[in-house]
Amino acid sequence: MGAASFDTYVYRESMLHQWSPRLKLVSLAVLMFAFATVRQLALVPWMLGIAALLYGLSGLPLTFLWQRLSYPGLFILALVLVLPFTVGDTVVSQWGWLALRQEGLLATLLIVGRFLSILTLGFILLGTTPFLTLLQAMRSLGLPTILADMTLLSYRYLFEIAAMLATMQQSMRLRGFGQTRQRWLRVNSQTMQQLAMLAGNLLIRSYEQSERVYKAMRLRGYGYGVKPTREQSLPRQPSALSWGLTGAVVAAAVGLIVAEGFLRQ
Amino acid sequence: MHIPDGILPAQVCAAGYAITGLTTWYSLRQINRKPDPTAEIPKASLLTAAFFVASSIYIPVPPASVHLILNGLLGVVLGYFAFPAILIGLFFQALVIGHGGLTTLGVNAAMMGIPALLAYHIFQLRHVLGKPLPEPARTGLFAFLGGAVGLGLAALIFLALIIFNIPAELNAEAERAAVLALSVGHVPLAIVEGVFTAMLVLFLQRVKPELLEG
Repeated sequence: MGAASFDTYVYRESMLHQWSPRLKLVSLAVLMFAFATVRQLALVPWMLGIAALLYGLSGLPLTFLWQRLSYPGLFILALVLVLPFTVGDTVVSQWGWLALRQEGLLATLLIVGRFLSILTLGFILLGTTPFLTLLQAMRSLGLPTILADMTLLSYRYLFEIAAMLATMQQSMRLRGFGQTRQRWLRVNSQTMQQLAMLAGNLLIRSYEQSERVYKAMRLRGYGYGVKPTREQSLPRQPSALSWGLTGAVVAAAVGLIVAEGFLRQ
Repeated sequence: MHIPDGILPAQVCAAGYAITGLTTWYSLRQINRKPDPTAEIPKASLLTAAFFVASSIYIPVPPASVHLILNGLLGVVLGYFAFPAILIGLFFQALVIGHGGLTTLGVNAAMMGIPALLAYHIFQLRHVLGKPLPEPARTGLFAFLGGAVGLGLAALIFLALIIFNIPAELNAEAERAAVLALSVGHVPLAIVEGVFTAMLVLFLQRVKPELLEG
């Protein structure tokens, strides 16, 4: 949960920060799917270029992307270590039993290119839109009420529950948990029982807290179908900049799909 | 065990979203049939957050450790709320730590969520098929089956999707052999997950039985 900081850079003033959240969500989703359709290696530099350009326009620091790439980067590493040496028949280079194969190498470049481009778009979306605004945009695009409420409430209590687990784990360690030596490749049933009780306690505490939360929400009118006022329910009209960005991003997405179709023939 | 962005073709991602959309619609329909669905939302939401946090608990198996998925347990405890809960958890993971992906969110939710719903139904079968067994063996056995099947099925779908979609040049026989070998490799993990689920469910049955009524 250490990396879980949702709204670190959302209050900057770049073009992408000012982009209407609804249009931004739809445009970036279309572009992500266009990236997912790419199978021609020739389009990978274009895809990476578009992602880099948007990241540049977002004004987000590179450290933001770098920190978040560390976890999924493990997946890239696994892919780079396995695919080029296992897939394909055309051997490019051979070191003893280890053979670098052309097909595997090309497949790796394609997958890593798509992966980095799509992931960058996801982080641009998160880095330039407050999470609650994003949720509001999804709600206005037709996200069911139950899902929206559940997402909001889970988000609200996520960090609190994470802190609760950290305290409980610290208490366990202070009482000697994890000090006994375990045999290799064996699951210690007592350790497992203790961890099951830890997870169970976390569920019970959350459940009991949810009962108090529900009562508080009812007292404030939750579940009585109170509709927002006209001012609250009307979304602000998107600016010309928002429409411009949307047009450019959708055009890029369509361009990639068309180019993919041409190159495949 | 999440499929990242960039691996699957757009058609598979779109199919994943379609399956997830349908399953979400079905789950929400079942939830809305409950006597007071709004009362259940805060409980399901906080438990979603708790499951998301609890999935960071790992079982030490020296020299490594086993990371728990808990999708079977989610199904057992949350019932039809398990599917939206998994969808939300995966959405958080994709946005915050880049684990999984936004284009593959539908595929991942279906891969984890449908086995969770199956786990729920397996656990409910204890009232029908488990009658000859005494308590707590009955609850323990069906919780074990729910946990093990939940993870086992998700692992099988994951492996099949990865192997059939990455190396296009591998022949069908090699792909089948790889799926089989990796699936067998996941059997011990399914057993660990099943035992953990059974232990946790028996603990909840002793301490807070109303949590198992969903």
